[in-house]
Amino acid sequence: MGRLISTRLAAFVMTLFAASIVLFLTINILPGSAAKSALGMEATPQAIARFEAQRGLDRPLVVQYVEWLSKTITGDFGTSFQNSVPVGPELLKRIPVTLELATLAFLIANLVAIPLGTLAAARHTRASDKTTTFAATVLGAVPNFWLATLLIMVFSLNLRWLPPGGFTSFVDDPAQNLRQMIMPALSLGLVSSALLIRIMRASMIEVLSSDYIRTAHAKGANETIVIRRHALRNSLIPYMNVAAVEFGFLFGSAVVIEDIFRLPGVGSLVLVGIINRDFPVLLASALTITVFVLVVNLIVDLAVGLLDPRRVKGSQA
Amino acid sequence: MAITRRISLQKHKPALSRRAFLASGTAMALLPAMTLRAQAQDMTPVDGGVLKLAFSADPAGMDPALGPSGMSHVVIEQIYSTLMSLDPDAQPYPDLAEGYEVSDDGMQYTFTLRQGVKFHNGDDLTAEDVKYTFDRLRAPDSGYAYDSQVATIQEVTAIDPYTVRFDLSAPTGPFLTYMAFPGSSIVPKNLLEAGHDLNAQPVGSGPFKFVSYQPRSMITFEKNGDFYEEGKPHFDGLEMHLIADVTALTNAVLSGTVNFSNEIPPKDWQTVSSTPGITGQTLEGSRFYWLLPNHDRSPMDNPLVRQAIAHAIDRSAIVAGTFFGQATPILGGVIPEWNWAYADLEYFAPRGDVEKAKALLAEAGHPDGFETSLTMASSFPAMVSMAPIIQANLAAVGIKVSIDTMEIPRYWDEVWAPSKFDMTAMYWVSPLADPDDFVYNNYHSGTALNVQKSGDASMDEILVKAKSGTTRDERKADYLKQQEMSLEQMPIVPLVNAWLLIAHTDKLKNYKPMRSGFLKTIKDAWLET
Repeated sequence: MGRLISTRLAAFVMTLFAASIVLFLTINILPGSAAKSALGMEATPQAIARFEAQRGLDRPLVVQYVEWLSKTITGDFGTSFQNSVPVGPELLKRIPVTLELATLAFLIANLVAIPLGTLAAARHTRASDKTTTFAATVLGAVPNFWLATLLIMVFSLNLRWLPPGGFTSFVDDPAQNLRQMIMPALSLGLVSSALLIRIMRASMIEVLSSDYIRTAHAKGANETIVIRRHALRNSLIPYMNVAAVEFGFLFGSAVVIEDIFRLPGVGSLVLVGIINRDFPVLLASALTITVFVLVVNLIVDLAVGLLDPRRVKGSQA
Repeated sequence: MAITRRISLQKHKPALSRRAFLASGTAMALLPAMTLRAQAQDMTPVDGGVLKLAFSADPAGMDPALGPSGMSHVVIEQIYSTLMSLDPDAQPYPDLAEGYEVSDDGMQYTFTLRQGVKFHNGDDLTAEDVKYTFDRLRAPDSGYAYDSQVATIQEVTAIDPYTVRFDLSAPTGPFLTYMAFPGSSIVPKNLLEAGHDLNAQPVGSGPFKFVSYQPRSMITFEKNGDFYEEGKPHFDGLEMHLIADVTALTNAVLSGTVNFSNEIPPKDWQTVSSTPGITGQTLEGSRFYWLLPNHDRSPMDNPLVRQAIAHAIDRSAIVAGTFFGQATPILGGVIPEWNWAYADLEYFAPRGDVEKAKALLAEAGHPDGFETSLTMASSFPAMVSMAPIIQANLAAVGIKVSIDTMEIPRYWDEVWAPSKFDMTAMYWVSPLADPDDFVYNNYHSGTALNVQKSGDASMDEILVKAKSGTTRDERKADYLKQQEMSLEQMPIVPLVNAWLLIAHTDKLKNYKPMRSGFLKTIKDAWLET
């Protein structure tokens, strides 16, 4: 088991290192210079040269990368090109916002997917199964930003039930926090549930066709009891594998949704970083999302490894 | 191609929408007594409340010497004070100064300061702070983006604690206006000499004190109880909500999450201004759009071709299609009608003049037109929206235009800075509203904005002369000449002047929008309970 953890951790570090190089290079080869973006229409050659010299952008890329990496490892993410504010503290304030959004969206996705997927499997090939499968396909094709706009139009601008955006910390005012979070979480969660409904359905169909379920039916147990007591737990194991990866994906999907709902999270920071070519902001926020996705994957890998009997047997040998 | 004085020309005149409503016969017949009573109530100031304003950009800094962006200035003018300020019609008046004297040759300005003015940290504001402020801006390594404004200041002398003299190297027409610019805000000498960073914690003597700044989220201010204008400001504080996406910004206004914005997109103006509880005010300011033909590329190097393009454009279609009526077509020089240097020239037909454009093209040796391209920055929705209108207008005279769009960082890098375009378009908000501000940067050779690469010695000469004029009449005559020349040479093609669109809660009273687009008058307004 120790070997499993150490190999996974080594792979995690290597992936992160590779991701940092890809991120740094991709951002630097993006067309559009940081200096000209910051200075806009009045970017004279002198102003550009001064801007680049002050921020070390006139040095070779390798030198810039090594300096950025060594500072990042020590927790120094530099200062924003746009507003000269240190990026690290801003990032720390933003991580809980995105984490809350991703967690709520994940909860919504599961609360929709598990019952609907189970229902569809239990009514396999019947009308309710077909309806659910069709609804999941439609939901999967809906872009989350479109759903977000629709929700704002209905619940904020027409019915005036919910605020169209903004953020209040859960600690300061839990009710207001949830009022502001529900629409962004629904936009992400409902779209994400489309995939999970299909996974849950497939997993449940497989379990329901296994021998021990048939035995339970033969013993006269009714459908509800068979599903709740016997089938659900087993079908949730493959489901949770996919769902956990989806959780990491939700963290990264927050980019546009946070912008639409004015949530001060990591995702909206990525967007402004790209628009302004604000390299320190973009690198720090993109790296945070990468780390989060990799950590979730690492946990899933380890959990699967630990739970898989073949793996346990293999590592003991 | 004679330029004629305008005799009569129906222009779209923006007006306060509420005023327009009250001016209508029905309203006047039904509501005279009610209106008078309401106005009397409106004019009794109410102290308290927090005004929540929405903006799409973050400030690029809060130190007056190092804040180059428009949003920096919006923040700076609430925190700091200036010797002069601009009134809603962009006329300078003494602010921190009680008064001033100008020498006959326009080379010396002496300001008498208000006494008893304190910075937010409790220090007295004296002539030494004024001297320190301008010496700091003039320092060779200051990095001040508007250094041309202080270029003619030769020496600043603190004669006594409340008198300060500026000696200039040349007469400078817009000098008093420069003194009202947010970059000219007076900073506390003692604090800065002790190493204080104004970007992290701005300290001025203005109506509001800085409280906090959360990037891309909010800037908060509290009332300066010691402000030198008795009884002002009326608000307990300000919240500037930073909402990058303009649709989200508009939604925040519509839902009442914020109660003030001057960034409503024209397409949403009708919806926003007709929403119950929201008052819409429009005002012609200084946001003008122009087309840039590249003088380094044939056939745009021919003034006749540039004139043909200028005459082919249907400006009223741009006003209607791109700005939903919320703009004024520029039919002559670019200095707007409300400005004292307005030249009253009639040159373009509002709907364009196809025959005249064709005749000019034929005269230029292109009777069948030519092929060219128009590159627009996709981040400016107005540009993208007006591109097909320009394309269709030019097609009507035989010029085939292909449209390219590009996201803004690439645009600055690949199109604007290296002048790699046949034609492009840009807009400019004049932060000063001095006539020089409308023309110098666009028409003088070698400026950062002159990416069309136009250069003409007589044009440069008249621009410098107009700027250094000592009397307003003298300057006005020079600007008339400059604008006539600009229409003959047509280095750029003026399009429209888009209005300021301001939406705020009905409860906001005594707010006067400013032509310059600034928000200095917020200190005079209050929220009705």
